Formats: sequence, structure tokens, C-alpha cells
Amino acid sequence: MIELTPDLLGAVTKPARYTGGEWNAVHKDAATVACRFALSMPDVYEVGMSNLGLKILYEVLNRRADTAAERVYAPWPDMEKAMREKGLPLYSLESFSAIGDFDFLGFSLQYEMCYTNVLNMLDLAGLPVWSAARGEDAPFIVGGGPCVYNVEPVADFFDLFVIGEGEAVLGELVDAFIAWKNEGRPGGRQGFLLRAAALEGIYVPSLYEPRYDEAGRFKSLTPLHPAARPVIYKRLLADFDDAPAMTAPVVPYIGIVHDRIMLELFRGCSRGCRFCQAGIAYRPVRERSLPRLLELARQMAAATGYDEMSLTSLSSADYSCLEPLVDTLMADFAAARMSFSLPSLRVDSFSIELADKLQQIRKSGLTFAPEAGTQRLRDVINKGVTEADLMAAVGAAFRRGWKAVKLYFMMGLPTETDEDIIGIADLAKKVVDLYTEIKGKRGVKVTVSVSCFVPKPYTPFQWFPQNTLAEFDRKQRLLKEHIRDRAIQYNYHDARVSRLEGVMARGDRRLAAVLYEAWRAGAKFDGWSDQFREEYWLSAFEKCGVDPAVYNERTRDFDEPLPWSHTSPGVETGFLRREWDKAMAASLTADCRRGDCTGCGVCQRLGVRVVDGRRQDG
Amino acid sequence: MAEMKLSFLYRAAVTKGEELRYISHLDYAGAIQRAIRRAGLPAAYSEGFNPHLKISFASALAVGVTSDIEYFDLELAEPLPPLTVAKRLKATLPPGINLLELRQLRKRKGTLMAEADEAGYTVDIPLTGPAEAARAAVAAFNAAPECVFHRATPKKTRDIEVKQYMAEAIALETGGETARLTMRIRITPTGSIKPGEVLSLLVDRYGFPGDERNAGLCRRALTGQGKSLLELDD
Ligand code: SF4
Repeated sequence: MIELTPDLLGAVTKPARYTGGEWNAVHKDAATVACRFALSMPDVYEVGMSNLGLKILYEVLNRRADTAAERVYAPWPDMEKAMREKGLPLYSLESFSAIGDFDFLGFSLQYEMCYTNVLNMLDLAGLPVWSAARGEDAPFIVGGGPCVYNVEPVADFFDLFVIGEGEAVLGELVDAFIAWKNEGRPGGRQGFLLRAAALEGIYVPSLYEPRYDEAGRFKSLTPLHPAARPVIYKRLLADFDDAPAMTAPVVPYIGIVHDRIMLELFRGCSRGCRFCQAGIAYRPVRERSLPRLLELARQMAAATGYDEMSLTSLSSADYSCLEPLVDTLMADFAAARMSFSLPSLRVDSFSIELADKLQQIRKSGLTFAPEAGTQRLRDVINKGVTEADLMAAVGAAFRRGWKAVKLYFMMGLPTETDEDIIGIADLAKKVVDLYTEIKGKRGVKVTVSVSCFVPKPYTPFQWFPQNTLAEFDRKQRLLKEHIRDRAIQYNYHDARVSRLEGVMARGDRRLAAVLYEAWRAGAKFDGWSDQFREEYWLSAFEKCGVDPAVYNERTRDFDEPLPWSHTSPGVETGFLRREWDKAMAASLTADCRRGDCTGCGVCQRLGVRVVDGRRQDG
Repeated sequence: MAEMKLSFLYRAAVTKGEELRYISHLDYAGAIQRAIRRAGLPAAYSEGFNPHLKISFASALAVGVTSDIEYFDLELAEPLPPLTVAKRLKATLPPGINLLELRQLRKRKGTLMAEADEAGYTVDIPLTGPAEAARAAVAAFNAAPECVFHRATPKKTRDIEVKQYMAEAIALETGGETARLTMRIRITPTGSIKPGEVLSLLVDRYGFPGDERNAGLCRRALTGQGKSLLELDD
């Protein structure tokens, strides 16, 4: 057991990140379980504790009598320094055990910029970062989360990956582990990995070898063993209503990013925005029933004591029974003064009415995501939002008393011209003018937040080159020049971070060496703008002789082999290809949630179907 | 005119255990509020757009300090027997917060904050030098007519005369490698001094041979006019 002394905890920021003991944390005696599973997100406590997927897995695993799941997050650099000075290894927040003593260490990989933190945490745990160098006694390092749809840049650091929804697979993985352990660990570490590879949805990267052609292009990922499937399709919960759910999440002492009950209305979103990986990765839409949601809401409220509940999903306003749900929740929890929020508003007046009913905080304003500045470009990305929709929505908001709106856009989208960039400024100005028109006076605050588009695997834009740094820089300045109204506040992302994200998102195994060098140089918490140091990365690329532009700035051929094609969410390449063509023609594709199947192939491939309360055939 | 609502006032004494040493006062208060909500108690809430539970605390405890006894006042919208309130709350308070006692207050009085006028602390500290040096440092501090602490916060700095807040001389016990300091500190409407600040003075100014960074601070008592804050109602 790790002992944390007062001199250590007294000297670091937010020591409660490291001391555990939270309400609903599960403490089991290690001697009474057959499997110890450390669950992690390679980021700081407040971020990791907010991750819904990990909360679910924590409960699901801890419901098993034979398994203890514990939590571990990335110590902030001040704590890391203190731990290294004192020789303290990375430890879990429940039993304060060294992470090296666990059977599994699972990382939820939510974004590429957390990769150096994975290496740093492995190192802090006293484990070799390369999977090939880890000994028989080391925990199995497991990866999951949205990054698995191209996990090749970190493949060499992990023992296995879970593709898809963890609740659907982890039970089988733990069963396989316990059986292997009880049989006396036949075949050693490799013996277990072969058994794991036989499970659907498990990818064991060491059972494959990448091949490259003479020009250095990725050619194939060749299975080295009969147990290695050519393609690992995601696992998912066909019946989300009936699936094991979170009922008693850990309640932190200190404020975390999402410090509230998360009621997950449904999985998936098939609105079909062509830039969006989540829109493909979590298909098809599967709703929970109204009675089930009410039951979960009551259980979580009683188990946590939270006074705030978020109705979470990729596009919550699309839930088929949203109005009765909201009305019932508000009535049920009126005495307890529970407040509710809808994190993802649609650009329409229905959403405004709901937000108004929920009394969403007026000061911070409402957030909308038109994503692009002109109708043409919004059609290219299949964002079914018109200027009229946006004006109707913000107009309704202003009439109901909101004085601030946030508008999210992207730059660097396919077919984008300067006109589209200037269109962002024009749209924001129209929103300002609408307020003045409705209220008869000025006084609105419009925040325009523009990110740099990162093309992602398994989207129709997976072949498209990311804009260069110079191009992002020019567009950012162009937009700035066109924003003249003082009521508009303009925020933009650091293009250097987006570029790196773009490289990792569509990278291959040759990037592992770059990651390793960048981490050795000191890179960590790359997603935190105050911690990001581009120079570590630039010298790592140079040292490894890797040209990052080959990964993010190159137009890929439609028929070229893609290094991520073996970990699949089930979508057909032909669908992505057709969507690209439709994007070029600025032609729209409808949502299959309540309408016809548009042929992405996920349902047929995985043997599942859309579950939505308002579907005719549902 | 706003509707007058009846409410029923309770006063509780609780601990802040070792598990919660590094929790701030605000987070400690938040943990108690969530426990009250988990207990399903019919709490009274403030009116307005952002209603909050009607609960108030005596005196904020610094991060890094545990406590044998803290107090809070809680308002309920229904008159539940104190034993019922206590039983339900005990079941939902997190580890490290033990409910010592809970009473219903017959009438609304001043705030707990105003009632508390003295706090007792112990400081357990590893010695880094001879016990005689420790005794000499404490004796010098106790004998000094005044002693100024320079309090620097990110916002402002202030010089505070410390001795006016010392209710009695600091007592010292030494045993082997560690020492225990016992101090009683006045809480006044115009201010007070923190035990950690007194400790810093002892070490920095009076040469107390102790490892300040590994000191364990604990509040042992919080009183008003020499009596427990639970007794004041009688
Ligand atoms: S297969 Fe058809 S119905 Fe299923 S998610 Fe894809 S487009 Fe929608």
C-alpha cells in the first residue's frame, strides 16, 4: 500500500485528486477477488472522473464478486514530480495499490493528444512502455474508447484493445482471464493474449505485422497467427434499454468537469454530419425507454445526492420521448430542487422552448453548432441547418431573455473557400443585428469559436488532406479581419495541436517511435494548452525521420490501403465513398433514425437495428 | 409579499476525519449537503433562480486540518424528530464525517459563525532537533508581548498581530521523535489566526525544531463563551 505523507500532499495543487475515499467508491479486499482491473483515463482526475464510459465500466465490473475495479488518473506534473522524487509508483485510488500489481490496466482513449500521458503513466507505474518489453507479471494494458478506430500509432504500447462498447466485452475478457489464471496460466502472457484475440471485439496488435511498399506507403497489416482476425468489428449493446447501467456513480469531493448526474438517453446519432466520427462509431441509434430512464434517474439521485442532472447523448434533443421525460423528471424532482440540462441543443425553436422550460443558465448563454459559415458548405458536411433555422432559434432565445450565444464552427473543411470563412463573420453579425432588432437595443454577446478541422478515420472525409498550418493561420487572420462588431468575441484553436491530432488520427505504427521520443523529451498533457510544447514533437519527428505531412496533408487515393481498416465500427467503405461524392455535390443525406435506411451497413454487418420510440416499424 | 414558510432548525456536531484532511471547507460543506439529499431529508431551500439548501457552518477549516468537532445548522421544511434526522444522516454521510450529535433548536438564534469565539487545536509534529530547543522556542513565543505574522494571499498581504488571538499559552508535550503543541485560538468578529500560521511563526521566527511540512493539525474543540456550541441553546 502506497503511503502519502503530509509533506507531499500539502505541497501539490488540489491534493484531493489523489486521496480517494469518495462516496460510492468500491473497496474490495484484493485477496477475495480473482481479477483486479485498474480503470484509467490518461488525464487529470477532474477530466477522468467525468468520463461516462469509465463510470459505467467501474460499476459493471464491480458488480462481479470475483473482480475489483479501481480508478487511477494522470497525476498533474507537480504531483508526478513529487512522486518520482519519493520513488512512489502510480497507484489506485481505492486500495492505494501499485498499478503494477493489477491484472489489467485499462485506458479510455478519448482523444489523440492524451497518448504521451499513457506512456508517462506506464512509466510512473514502473512498467516498460513497449508491450514487447513487459514481463510475465505485468498487468495487461488495455485500450478502449473512440481512438480505437485508428489505434495504430499506440498499438505497440498496448497488449490489447476493446473495439466498441466496453460493457459488451469486458465481462468476457475477465472470464477468459480468470479461466486462464485458474488453469495455471497456460502459455504464459502470450497464451492469454491468444485467448483474448479469439473473443469478438478484441484486437491484439502484437498478432499483426504492418507492411509498407518501397515508396514507404502503408500496404497491409498482416495477421501473424490463425487467432488474429483480419477485421475486428466493434461490439455493442443491441438492447441498450436492458443493458447493465450506471446507478451509483462515484461522487467526488472536488469539482470535476461534469459534476452532475449523467442520464444517458440513447446511444448513437445518425444525423450523418460528414466530418463526425462519433456519428459513425456509435451507430445505430438505440434509445432507452421512458420508464427505464425514470428509474435510473431516481436511483442515481438517491445514490449520489447531486442537485443537477444532465440529459446526456450525442444529440439529446432527438430523443423520441423528450417532452414527457422532461415533464416527468421536473415534477418528480421539484421538491428536491433538481436542475436539469440538455448538453446538446438542436438549432431549432423546440430546443429553445425546452431550454427555457429547464431554465438553463442564461448568463453563460446557449450554444449552437452551425459548423460552417455558408449554406453551401453546411450542405457539403450534411449539417442540416439553414440560416433561417439558426435565426429562428437564436431569435426565440433572445425573446425569452437570453443575452449570450455561443456559435461553434470549423475551418479547413473540404471545398472551403474564403467566402465560407467570411460567411462565419457574416452569420455572427446577423445574430448580433437580430438581437438589436428584437430588443430595440444592443447588449448581446456572441462568442464565435472556431476549431481546426481534423479529418478522422471512418468518416466520408477520411481521404481528405488537412489544411496546412499556414493555411489555418491565414484563415484565422482572415476571419479576424472580418469580425468588426465589438459584441462578437472570437476564439480559435491552436492549429499546431490540431495538426498533431491530424497526424495521429490517421497515422500508422511508425508514429510510435515519434510518440516515444516526444514523451522522452518531456511531452505530456499535450491537450492542455499551458502544457503543450510543440518543440518536443518537432524534434521527435526529425529524429525519427518521419514527415508528419505525409499523414495529415496528403490526399489519399480512394483505393489505397488504410492503416485503420482492421478495427471497424461496421460501416461499409462504399457508403463513406458515396457520402464523399454527395459532399462534393453538396447533396444531403437524411437521418435514418426515423426514416429509411441510407445504407451505411452497420446494422446489417452487426446484426442490430435502430431503436427509436417514434419509428414506424419500431 | 412572499409567503412565509415554517422551517425547523437543527444543529449537528460532526467530525472531519483523516480521510478528508485535504478537502477544502467548501467541498466539505458540499459533501454534507449531498449526504443530506441522499438521506432524503425534507430540507428547506432558499428561494430564487438557483435554490440552495439552507445550511450554515461555524468556522471554516483550512485544507490540511482535520477536526474532532465541527458544527452546522440545518433547516428542514418538516419537523422530524432529531433521532430520525440523525439516523438517516448517519447512513449517508461519507467516511470521515461522523455525526456526533444532533439537536433540534427551539428558537432561531444568531448564526453559528457569530457564536463560535474560540477554537482549540493540536499540532503533532516530527522533531528535527532536541526537545530543549522546542521548549525554548515555545517559551519564547509564549513570553513575547506581541508577534506579527505576515499573511500573503494572491490578492493582498496583511500584517497580523498574533498574540491578541492566543487565548492561552501554547502547551508543549514531547515524546521521542515527535512533539504535540496544544493551542487555543480566539475567533473574533474582526479576525483570527490559523494554527498553521502560528506553527510557521514558531518554526521560522522562534527556531522551533520541527518538520512543519509533516505536521498533523487537528481542531479539537470549537466553543462559544467557554461552552460547546450544542449547549448554547439551553
Ligand atoms: S444500416 Fe441503415 S439504419 Fe442502420 S445505422 Fe446505417 S443507415 Fe442507419
